[in-house]
Amino acid sequence: MKAYWQLTLAQLRIFLRNRQVLMWTLIFPILLMSMLGLFLGKGNGISLTIGVIDHDHTSFSNEFVNAISNNEAIHLVLQKDEKKAQTSLKNGDFQLVVTIPKGYESSLKNSGSKPLPFTIPVYYNDTNFAVSQVGLALVNGVIDEVSKQRVSYAPVVEMESHGIKALHLKYIDFLVPGIVAMMIMSNNMNGVAGQIAAWRERGILRRMQGTTLKASTFIAAQITARLLMNGLQALIVLLVAHLLFGVEIRGSWFTLISFIILGTLAFMAIGFIIAGIAKTPESAAPIAGVLSFPMLFLGGVFFPIRNMPEFLQPIVKLLPISHLSTALREIMNVGAAWSSLGLEAAILGGWVVAAFVIASYTFKWE
Amino acid sequence: MRGGGGTYMNFSEDTIIDVKGLVKNYGSFKAVKGVHFQVHNGEIFGLLGPNGAGKTTTLEMLVGLRKPDEGTAIIGTHDILRELTKVKEIIGVQLQSTSLFDLLTVEEILQMYASFYPSHIPISPLIDDMLLTEKRKSRIKGLSGGQKQRLAIALALVHDPHVVFLDEPTTGLDPQARRTLWDIVLQLKNKGKTIVLTTHYMDEAHILCDRIAIMDQGELIALDTPTQLVKSLQSDSALEFRVLQEEEFIDFSSIEGVKKVGKQSDVHLLYSDQLQKTLTSLIHFATEKNLQLVDIQTRTATLEDVFIHMTGRSLREA
Repeated sequence: MKAYWQLTLAQLRIFLRNRQVLMWTLIFPILLMSMLGLFLGKGNGISLTIGVIDHDHTSFSNEFVNAISNNEAIHLVLQKDEKKAQTSLKNGDFQLVVTIPKGYESSLKNSGSKPLPFTIPVYYNDTNFAVSQVGLALVNGVIDEVSKQRVSYAPVVEMESHGIKALHLKYIDFLVPGIVAMMIMSNNMNGVAGQIAAWRERGILRRMQGTTLKASTFIAAQITARLLMNGLQALIVLLVAHLLFGVEIRGSWFTLISFIILGTLAFMAIGFIIAGIAKTPESAAPIAGVLSFPMLFLGGVFFPIRNMPEFLQPIVKLLPISHLSTALREIMNVGAAWSSLGLEAAILGGWVVAAFVIASYTFKWE
Repeated sequence: MRGGGGTYMNFSEDTIIDVKGLVKNYGSFKAVKGVHFQVHNGEIFGLLGPNGAGKTTTLEMLVGLRKPDEGTAIIGTHDILRELTKVKEIIGVQLQSTSLFDLLTVEEILQMYASFYPSHIPISPLIDDMLLTEKRKSRIKGLSGGQKQRLAIALALVHDPHVVFLDEPTTGLDPQARRTLWDIVLQLKNKGKTIVLTTHYMDEAHILCDRIAIMDQGELIALDTPTQLVKSLQSDSALEFRVLQEEEFIDFSSIEGVKKVGKQSDVHLLYSDQLQKTLTSLIHFATEKNLQLVDIQTRTATLEDVFIHMTGRSLREA
């Protein structure tokens, strides 16, 4: 028992004294989160900048402009010069340019009982098709609304839409649980594999083998120290995400921490297997890389799993990272409880048990 | 530090290590070819031989780091194959170039190793004994070679073992650090420890060891006290010289008093127990044959000469 505490303490000291490693393993996920969350996140949201040129300058045209700017997703910029607006559109500063021609008000007032539709030209940049389509739909909605008002249209059938998980999720909300899962994977799998292989290469483990220390004590201490350190790192990243990026954690902290522990154990065990297989520390890194790299892309860290090709899905569904990222996401985004995460817990638990059994056979002091 | 007595009084009988025909093969290479020897309680026992002679492999089998292919050994009352944990409790090990956690301090690593054993001695006096008092709070990273080696020995002593194994304790150290280490080893003996060390330094073996086993190519070729080993040459002096512009083989064995001749690159070696006669005769011989002798040296025969005598090779070139 004394040996277990001393080894845990030693490992914690090594962690804390290895400032550079400590810093970079923390900076990396936060940096990734900022980059992907702030830059990529923009394109993914439905925020549109629309340039509006009002040639009519009447109360009707004003009303129309207000109707557009009332839409939360639209950022409206009033323009005077049509040419300037066109240039901005080409440069991508505007996604759409709406021109209200002279005579808009008078046309509407004189419409009578059988009105001729008035044309409002809307320009879009067809190199940015997807966004333009969304913009066109929005503007069309506004125009539709105006038209209906003018003819005193009373709808016969109405649609009522319900978001299933009406949580207003942003990309960052999707991203952060994935990044925490990625961090747990790389810190533990790559970390354990690299460190144990290096210690073996340098004969550090061999010297310990010369004492009455048991391998199980050594491994238990490693696990404890890493659980503490990596758990803490994951919590720091979550805290940064929460405070700086406003990422919500809807589920209970208990459930969240349980899954962080489960994920840490699973990847640590895989790390021990790699350390057992790798003959040199130089070969441990590529082996860990070969395993972690596909997991990063297939495991639902950056992109939802359902976006992946059909044939990959069965494989993806067995990866520990997929279940860790799914579980973290469900807990943080939706507020899922333990009871609804049985499958994820079972598969991660299966990985923990299987990997530790294999690791206990492949572990070598030298 | 405490004496080696107390709990280990039952080892007072003469033999503490009994090595019974240890064999180790690495593939087709036979590293150790069945060695037998006994180590006496309280002595410093040296395994001497060139690199690759099988010294380290023998030592590593004794401490349980390598599994012998054949044979076994008894340390104290325990068999190294069947009761390794018991053996580990009574032995301390310093391996060749021990590497440790660089980021821990001297005190921390000693406390950690102490915790691996059922009982241990107080850390502070041990640090003082190993002359590391000023470095107790320093990280291992910043220690000198000699300090690291003394720390490695401290780690071997932390559980108060009865037998201490030291694998090439002074290799790579400067002369000053070597002498410091010799003092420490001799102090350990005074405290009643049995010490088994490997070395390829003659002078070290001669100064430290009570008895020496000479190993070569996996076999034990001699075992005795340093004095007896040198005596076995039957010639107490060695004469070295070079011949300028030596063109053909010259046979020096006919010179008076010469027991054995040897040659290392261009240096001739004559062993004799009548140095004066041999020297006079050599000068005559050279004059007759018109040879020009240079770098003439005479010295007392050493363990190095014993090795050359037995194998025909020097320790360094072997």
